[in-house]
Amino acid sequence: MHKLYSNKWVIFSLVLPGLLTFVIAILAPIILSVFYSLTDYSGLGEATVTGIQNYKALLHDSVFWTALRNSLLLAIGFVAIQHPIAVYVAVKLDRLQGKAEGFLRCVYFIPNVISVAVIAYLWKFIYNPNFGLLQKILEFFGYDGTFNALSSGSAIWAVLVVLIWHGFGWGMLIYYTGIKNIDPVVYEAAKIDGATEGQAFLHITLPLMKPVIKYNVTLAVISALKQMETVYLLTNGGPGNETQFLGTYLYKQAFGSFKYGYGNAISVVFIAICLLSTVILNKVFEDRSERREGKRLAKAAKKAKS
Amino acid sequence: MKKVFSIILCALMLLTCLAACAKEQGQQTQSSPDSTTVPADNDATAPADNQADQEQDAEPVTIKVFSNLTDRTSGQGLIEQTLFDNYMTEHPNVTIQVEALDDESYKTKFKAYASGSSMPDLVNIWCSPSFLDEVIAANVLAPLNAADYADYGFADGSLAGVTYDGQLYGLPRNTDVLGFYYNKDMFAQYNLEVPTTWAELLTVCQTLKDNDVSAIAMDGQDGWPLTHFTNCMAGTILGADTYDVMLNSVKNGDYSDPAWNTVITAASENAALLFQPGFETTDYGTAMNLFINGQAAMFFMGSWEMSMSTDFPVGHFTMPDVEGDDQGVIGAYNGGGYAVSADSKVKEEAIALLNYMFLPENWSKLSWENGVCMSAQDFSAYLTGNESDLQKEIIANLNNASGITGMTYNDLGSSEYKTVCETSTIEVLSGMITVERYFEALAGVR
Repeated sequence: MHKLYSNKWVIFSLVLPGLLTFVIAILAPIILSVFYSLTDYSGLGEATVTGIQNYKALLHDSVFWTALRNSLLLAIGFVAIQHPIAVYVAVKLDRLQGKAEGFLRCVYFIPNVISVAVIAYLWKFIYNPNFGLLQKILEFFGYDGTFNALSSGSAIWAVLVVLIWHGFGWGMLIYYTGIKNIDPVVYEAAKIDGATEGQAFLHITLPLMKPVIKYNVTLAVISALKQMETVYLLTNGGPGNETQFLGTYLYKQAFGSFKYGYGNAISVVFIAICLLSTVILNKVFEDRSERREGKRLAKAAKKAKS
Repeated sequence: MKKVFSIILCALMLLTCLAACAKEQGQQTQSSPDSTTVPADNDATAPADNQADQEQDAEPVTIKVFSNLTDRTSGQGLIEQTLFDNYMTEHPNVTIQVEALDDESYKTKFKAYASGSSMPDLVNIWCSPSFLDEVIAANVLAPLNAADYADYGFADGSLAGVTYDGQLYGLPRNTDVLGFYYNKDMFAQYNLEVPTTWAELLTVCQTLKDNDVSAIAMDGQDGWPLTHFTNCMAGTILGADTYDVMLNSVKNGDYSDPAWNTVITAASENAALLFQPGFETTDYGTAMNLFINGQAAMFFMGSWEMSMSTDFPVGHFTMPDVEGDDQGVIGAYNGGGYAVSADSKVKEEAIALLNYMFLPENWSKLSWENGVCMSAQDFSAYLTGNESDLQKEIIANLNNASGITGMTYNDLGSSEYKTVCETSTIEVLSGMITVERYFEALAGVR
């Protein structure tokens, strides 16, 4: 059997389905996207190659920059607001034990179980200045005007609140699982040594959770960049273009204005930004001791060679 | 032995891959998850007339229809489905398969179909340049013989939107009259009269606002209802020239006609008074519900909503005169319609179905008698006198008009123009950009 798995043709046939899937479903569309980004294709008729015209237009497109800014704002919101709260809640949940732990874990995860369309309309109604819950609460506290959270100026913040709230359950659950995997003996030893809860969190929980944090933050940044459906249903990028994200703007250009070429240029830039973000995050989370070890091994190998 | 086993394993893996890619013979076309596929209902027990008897033995024909009417149990969707069912009863050899998607999804999939080679045989279209220009240029639609429709009673000018270089490519479905639905009880409660001038409309809105009632429920998130509103305002100033002035502006990027400035300035200065709070982020359904639930006194929309259900009597009036020299022109156009795919394998049969649908006693009669909408054809023969008050008011408004504005300006340019125009109209009416910036944005795209 071992020899069978060493056979080149067997390995090839086992790898082939995965390779074909990757080429057909991922690589080919990306290559096609790059090609169409260099054309003026409208989705119908012939495509004329226009070189980097779409990319030049992108540089001067203020809505594209607004969309990119909003996507980055969301990524910052996820990393700076959602995740610290998620880690805190996960730690507290872990301490709770018993039925309350299970109950609250489910409660926090509920928004993730509900359909995106329902979430979007739920918040749309909460924010509605004519009959929404927010307006009623403000009126209860004596506010006599009308407050439309989705109007110009406040819309992007209102959208960020929804997105951060919606994604909270996932982040929390992953951190919670990470914490559960830490051996309780480590905490007991720290307690015997006189460590406070804060010290245990800083010097035990966080360092041991590093791989989980790395995974979770990378996932959050990527999901912020590719945000589409909730915003599309909540504001459709409006009012005007104030809450456009890269995903919604790409859709609007490709399927609203039928500028497929331009839409593909946005998608290519979008892929580049996603890859760049992943590389940066990998660098940020790279273990310094691992890096030092790697360098040491490389040096040793070089020395042995010479 | 091991070598043989390796070869067999390799062959199996390859076969598995190929099998997964293969398409089953005779497999039914799958519609997208959010689409509505109405199965062929071909077991009707109709009276077997001669024609049906003959066609029973004829070659089976399947006509695929792509529709933007998703609700097949009420409104226009029901009328369309009823006609298809009747057609299948009369032509037992014909099976009609319907795939229905809502407007936005429809437009996206239409382009996808048009890019490939599997365009359904009979398709819905929008009779406007923003939809049709690119489609006609790509030779997606089959030409129709205009002479065939000489006796169909299509209203004057209604075929203009689907005629390119003298060639007819489709048939319009309805005449869509734009106007205000109003709550008669609420108007009576606050002693309000139907406004005939812009100043009177503002007074009505102010009175309602003073009584904590939103005046006009407006779907501002989608953009197009706002452009319809401003187009109607322009119609009262420009009269019979409205369409030409609008078309000239869109095609040449020239918005210097004073009517433009008058309309956009008046609308943007008074939007907060005219429409409900947060109109710029209110969608179609929510706006309509505000009116139906009595939270707004008026609802600006097309005559396709004449069958909406309310607990109060509903009246209808058209855009009041903006500048004081009423031209009598009202906002109306021929919006949706049908066309036949140029590459259809059953083109003749699809055209026959189209022709059947638009026989005056079919679409025109059924849509009017069911209080759904007004067809683009002469339906006066089907007025029964038993119409609802709302139907009578809408038809009276149309009959009293000296003319109609034709297609609204957001639909007179390219798809890109439509997007920019609608987004900019939301921005200018909600005070996000100035009137000058609005015209700059419109002039920047054709």
